Amino acid sequence: MEPDVLRRAGDASVLILTSLADGPKHGYALIQDIKGFAGLELGPGTLYGALDRLERLGLIEALPAEDRRHPYRMTAPGAVALRAHLDSLERVSAVGRLRLRMAGI
Amino acid sequence: MGGPRSERLVAAVLRCYPARWRRRHGDEAAELAALLMRDGTPARAIAWNYLTGAARAQLASPPARRLGAAAGALVVAGGCLGVPLALSASPPAGAASVTRSPAPGPLRGRTRPARRLDQMLRSGCLIGQPAARVRAELRAARASATWHGTGFVTAARADGPAVVSIILNPRRPAGHGQGC
Repeated sequence: MEPDVLRRAGDASVLILTSLADGPKHGYALIQDIKGFAGLELGPGTLYGALDRLERLGLIEALPAEDRRHPYRMTAPGAVALRAHLDSLERVSAVGRLRLRMAGI
Repeated sequence: MGGPRSERLVAAVLRCYPARWRRRHGDEAAELAALLMRDGTPARAIAWNYLTGAARAQLASPPARRLGAAAGALVVAGGCLGVPLALSASPPAGAASVTRSPAPGPLRGRTRPARRLDQMLRSGCLIGQPAARVRAELRAARASATWHGTGFVTAARADGPAVVSIILNPRRPAGHGQGC
């Protein structure tokens, strides 16, 4: 089982990696995409903080700037980390649902 | 929608980030803020989010300047968002005198403290409505200023009850016209 390096990275990091899973995006496109699939509007300061953190971890990389915008793409280690984190969430989710069902809630 | 005032607010907050961050993300961050404001996100919400991000970025900077820089960013935040600076308490008996103590880095200079403070207010090192109020207070009361090595400035009115405490952002570059 892969270690879940995203466990302590914060929700914003997971949302960004999830958004980048279908291709490179720049900041504004990331905010719009995350708003669409998670119903959550990341603040720009939160976004850049998470992007810097993910880049330091080697989970994403910046592509050459287009005009003033820097697109980012997920790296191979980023894909592995995202998969490990989602697997972990699925296990927690399964246990939670099972226990709720057993409790009749 | 963001007007010139909103853009100035965001630009001022972006100056709270470390220089390296501004070189990397500054232009894009300003453009992103403009797009979000166009979409209806309030400028204050954007500014506040950038400000908390700036405090985190400053805390991730080399340790020597972390505390002062983060405190500076947060106080500038207060200024940006209209939170009053500390305007309270009676000054101690000797508070009216001007004293100088050596200040590190960007705050070092031979200029008299009161004049230096005024320069900083004009150059945008201190921003927002409270800065204008501080400037008016200083002029009206012919107040004096005291420098401390950590980047704190205290201006005490010679004849009144107010003591104004300002924390500067010591990470602003010096010696380039707009430096602090």
